Amino acid sequence: MKSRYQNRIELLQGTLDMLILQTLQWGPQHGYGIGNAIRANSGELLKVETGSLYPALHRLEKQGWVKSEWKLTETGQRAKYYRLTPAGKKQLLTEHSRWTQLTQAIAGIMSPAPTNPLDEM
Amino acid sequence: MNWKRRERDLDSELRAHLEMAATDARARGESADAARLAALREFGNRDLVKETTRDIWGRNPFHGMGSDIRAGLRTFRKNPSFAAIVTLTLALGIGANTAIFSLVDAVMLRSLPVSHPEQLVQVTMGAGADEMTNPIWEQLRDRQDVFSGLLAYNAPRFNLAQGGEAHYVRGSWVSGQYFSTLGVSPAAGRTLVAADDVRGCAATAVLGYDFWQRQYGGAPGALSQSISLDGHPFQILGVAARGFTGIDVGNSVDVFVPVCAEPVMHGTASQLDQRLSWWLKVVGRPKPGVDAQRAVARLKILAPAVFAATIPASLLPDRQREYAADTFEIKPAAGGISELRVQVQQSLKILMAVVCLLLMIACANVANLLLARAANRQKEIAVRMAVGAGRWRLIRQLLVESALLAAAGAALGILFAQWGSRLLVGLLSSAGQQVFLDLTMDARVLGFTVGVSALAAILFGLAPAWRATRVEPQAAMKANGRGVAEGQSRFGAGKALVSAQVAVSLVLVVGAALMLTTFWNLLALNPGFERDHVLIIRTDLRNARFPVSRLEQSFDEMRARLTAIPGVRSASFSSQTPVNTGGQNAMIQVDGFQPKQRRDSMVMLNFTSPGFFATLGTPLLAGRDFDARDASGSGRVAVINETAARKYFSSLDVLGRSFRMGFPAANQLVQVVGLAKDAKYRSLREDPRPIAYLPSAQDSDIHPFINFELRAAGPAANLAPAVKEAMAQVNPQIALEFRTLEAQVAESLARERLMATLSGFFGGLALLLATVGLYGVISHNMARRRNEIGIRMALGADRSRVLLMALGDVAMVVGLGLAAGLGASLAVTKYVASFLYGVTATDTRTLVSAAVLFAAVAAIAGYLPARRASLVDPMVALREE
Repeated sequence: MKSRYQNRIELLQGTLDMLILQTLQWGPQHGYGIGNAIRANSGELLKVETGSLYPALHRLEKQGWVKSEWKLTETGQRAKYYRLTPAGKKQLLTEHSRWTQLTQAIAGIMSPAPTNPLDEM
Repeated sequence: MNWKRRERDLDSELRAHLEMAATDARARGESADAARLAALREFGNRDLVKETTRDIWGRNPFHGMGSDIRAGLRTFRKNPSFAAIVTLTLALGIGANTAIFSLVDAVMLRSLPVSHPEQLVQVTMGAGADEMTNPIWEQLRDRQDVFSGLLAYNAPRFNLAQGGEAHYVRGSWVSGQYFSTLGVSPAAGRTLVAADDVRGCAATAVLGYDFWQRQYGGAPGALSQSISLDGHPFQILGVAARGFTGIDVGNSVDVFVPVCAEPVMHGTASQLDQRLSWWLKVVGRPKPGVDAQRAVARLKILAPAVFAATIPASLLPDRQREYAADTFEIKPAAGGISELRVQVQQSLKILMAVVCLLLMIACANVANLLLARAANRQKEIAVRMAVGAGRWRLIRQLLVESALLAAAGAALGILFAQWGSRLLVGLLSSAGQQVFLDLTMDARVLGFTVGVSALAAILFGLAPAWRATRVEPQAAMKANGRGVAEGQSRFGAGKALVSAQVAVSLVLVVGAALMLTTFWNLLALNPGFERDHVLIIRTDLRNARFPVSRLEQSFDEMRARLTAIPGVRSASFSSQTPVNTGGQNAMIQVDGFQPKQRRDSMVMLNFTSPGFFATLGTPLLAGRDFDARDASGSGRVAVINETAARKYFSSLDVLGRSFRMGFPAANQLVQVVGLAKDAKYRSLREDPRPIAYLPSAQDSDIHPFINFELRAAGPAANLAPAVKEAMAQVNPQIALEFRTLEAQVAESLARERLMATLSGFFGGLALLLATVGLYGVISHNMARRRNEIGIRMALGADRSRVLLMALGDVAMVVGLGLAAGLGASLAVTKYVASFLYGVTATDTRTLVSAAVLFAAVAAIAGYLPARRASLVDPMVALREE
C-alpha cells in the first residue's frame, strides 16, 4: 500500500515542488495556506492532498530550498511558516524554465502544426 | 538527530492545519462540531500523512519501538503461560550464570575495598613462599626505601571465651602501618598507628565493622571496653571502616591486634624473635614513580643484608648458607590474598562452563518454543506483510518480543542468583572454615548479567524471527495454516535444536554422574576408622598454665575423667585426628631398606594415648596397643600401619622389628609392638601412606594443645555438656572445641560435596529442559501432521504404524543428539579428571548409563505425543480441513 502511495507522489513530485516554491514567492506561508493558495489560483482545479503536501514541504526544507519557523497567524493561531531561501529562488527559476520547455514540447506533440492533408491519404 | 522533537513538531504542524481548516469552516457558518469533522474529513488519514512525511527525514531505527514493546506485552498477556514458561526457563539459565559469576567476581576479580588497590603488591620470599618470620619482617621494614607503606599481617583465630567451650573469632595480627598503608579509616575511635606497634606495647585492638555491629550492636560504648582474646584483655581503640574485612578474601576479620602484642598472648612461646617461625604475610604500596620492577630490584639488593642479620643459629651450616642466599619477589595484591581463591578457582571455572552450557540449553528451548509459536503465527505475519509491513520491521517486532522475554528472565534470574549465590557460599563453608564473601551486586556482575541476557535474546530470538518472516504472504494465507505436504519428515530447525540440546545435556549429565560417583566413592570407602559415634574435643590448655612437666599427667587425668562419663565406651587423646588439615612427619631408617629418594624415608606420625585404636575403631591386626609400660623413661615403641610394614619390612610380620628415627630426639631405636590396619591420615583421597603411631607419653615435644576422642554408646554430640563439666573440674581455664568425627569427615569432602550437588542439580536441570524441549517439538510436529496422519489412517495405516513413525522421529532426534553428546563428553571430561576419585573421566559405565537414562526419559517424552497422534480419529482430523 505504501509503495503505491509513493508512486503517486513521484508522479506529481516535480510539479508540486514547483507549485509550492511559486506560491512561497509572495511571502512566507503555512501548509494550510499553501494548499488553499494553489487551489484558489488554479481556479479550484488542483486540490493538493495533505499526504503529498507535507512530505513535499519537508523534502524542500531538507534540500535547503525553504526554511520554516513557528509564527502566529492573523487569527492568533500558532502555525509553521515556510519561507523561500535564496537557493529555493534559484531552484524555482530552473524548474520554471524546465517546465516551460516541457509544456512547449508536450504542446507541440498534442497540437502539431497543420500538415498537408494529402500526405495522409 | 532529535527524532522526538521532530515528531512533536510534525504533530503540532498537522494539528495547526486542522485548526485553521476548522476555523475557516466555522467562518463559513458551520457549527463547531461539523467544522471539526469537515476539517478531519478533508485532511485524510493523519497517520499516513505522518508516516510518509517521516519517510522524507530518513529512517529512525528506533521509531515505533514503544508500540513494538506495547504490542509485545499484549501478546504475552494474551498467552501468559507461554510468557511464564519462557521467563522461567531463561531465569534459570541467567540466574545460574549470575550466581556463579558473582562468586567468580567475589573470589577472583574484585579489588580490595581500600584506596587504590591496584597499587598494592605482596612481598614474598624468593622461593615463592608467602610467609616471613618476624625478624625478617622487622629488617625488611627498617631497611626498605621503595614503599610508601609496608605492612605485615597474619590471620589467626582468637577465643573470646575464658575457659569452657571456645568461641572463636577471626583475628589478625597487623603491623603498625597496616591501616595507613591500605588507606583504611576508622568508622569509630581510631585505627592502629605505627606508635601502637613497638616492642613491649600494650594489648590494644581495633574491631571489624561487622563484628562491632554483631557483637556490640554498633554501640560507641564498646570503645571504652576491653575484649578478652585467648583469655587476655585487649583495650579496644576503635572500629575499622565499614566494608573492610582484611586482606584475605573469603575471611572476614573480626579483631585487629598489633603484632607487638603477640607476647602478651603467647608469653615465652612468642614468635617475635623466633627465626624459624614463618607466619607473617607482607603487603606494600610502592612510592609514586616506583614501578614493580624497580621495587623488586631494590628488594633483591637489600635481601642479603636482611637474611644475614637473621640467620637462625640452630640450622646446620649448609642450611644456613641456603637461608642467607634467599631473596624477595613481589606479586600483585590488588584483589587481596586468598587461600580460598587457590582452592576453588578450578571448581568455579568448571561451574562457569557448566552454567554456560545450561544457558545454551535454555536458549535452545526458548528458540524452539518461539519457532513453534512463529509457525502458529504465520498467518498473522502473512497478513501484516500483505498490508505493507516490511520484513525488517517484523523481525524487529519479533526481536523486541525476545528482548522483553530476556529482560523478564534476567530480572527473575537476578532474584534467583541473589538467593543461589548465598546458598553457594553456604556450601563452600563448613563449621571449621566459614567463608565470608561480599556478594553485593557490583557493576561487573550487573554488566555480565545484562550482556548474557542480551546474548541469550539474540541466540534464541534471531533464528525464529528470521524464519517466521520468510513467508510468501499469498502462500501462507492460502494454505490456511496447514497443508498435507507440510508434515513430510524433514529435519527442521526445531529437531536440529533438540538434537543439539540432547547432546549438550548429555555432557552435563555425564559430568554430574562422574561427580556424584566420586562423592559416593569417597563416602562409601572404608577409611580405616569408624566415623560414627566419635566425638573429637580439641583443647587449648595454655591458660590453664599446667607446668610442662605435668602436662602429660594432666592429659591422663582428663582422659580418666572423660572415660568415667556415662555413655562413653572409650576415651583417648592424640596429637592428630583423621582427615584434619595438618600433620606431623619424620624420617626413619630401617636396616635393609634402601630409600631411592629422601621422601621414601618419611612416615606420618601420630602421638597417641592408650585406647586410641579402640576409640577410633582402627583394628589392630597384630601386637598390642600402648599401655602404662610405655612411659617416657622406658624403651621407645611404635605401632605401624600395613603400608609402613610392607614398605620398610616387606612383610606384615613386624612385631619385634625396629627402626631408627631422628624425631623427636636424635637417632633413637624404636621397636614395633603393633600392626594397625591402614587408615586415612590427612584426606580420604590419599593413597595409603606409611604411618607410625607413637605413645604420647614418649613425646618429648609436648604442646598445650591436644585432641581427645570419645567413642559414645549413643549420638556423639550429646556428650558435650558432660565433657565440659568434667574438664572444668580439672581446670575451668581449659578451652574446648567440639566436633564429631562424622562432621570432620564431611567437612573434608566440602569441595566434592559442592561439585556433586551443583553438577547434579545442573545436570538434572539440563535433562529436564532437554526433555521438555523434545516433548514440545514432537507434540508440535504431531499436531501439524494431524491431517496427514488422518489420511494415512483413512487409507489403512493402523495405529501401531503411526506410533512407530512418530517414535522413529524421536529416535532419530535423540539418537543423533546422544551420539554427538557421547563424543563431546569423551572430549571434555578430561578437564574434570583431577576432581574424580575411583572413576576415570572416560568411564564406560558412566557414559553408557547416562545415555541409557537419557534415552529412557526421551522415550517417555516422545511416546506421549506420539501416542496422542496415533489416537487421532481420521474422520475428525479430516473434517477439520
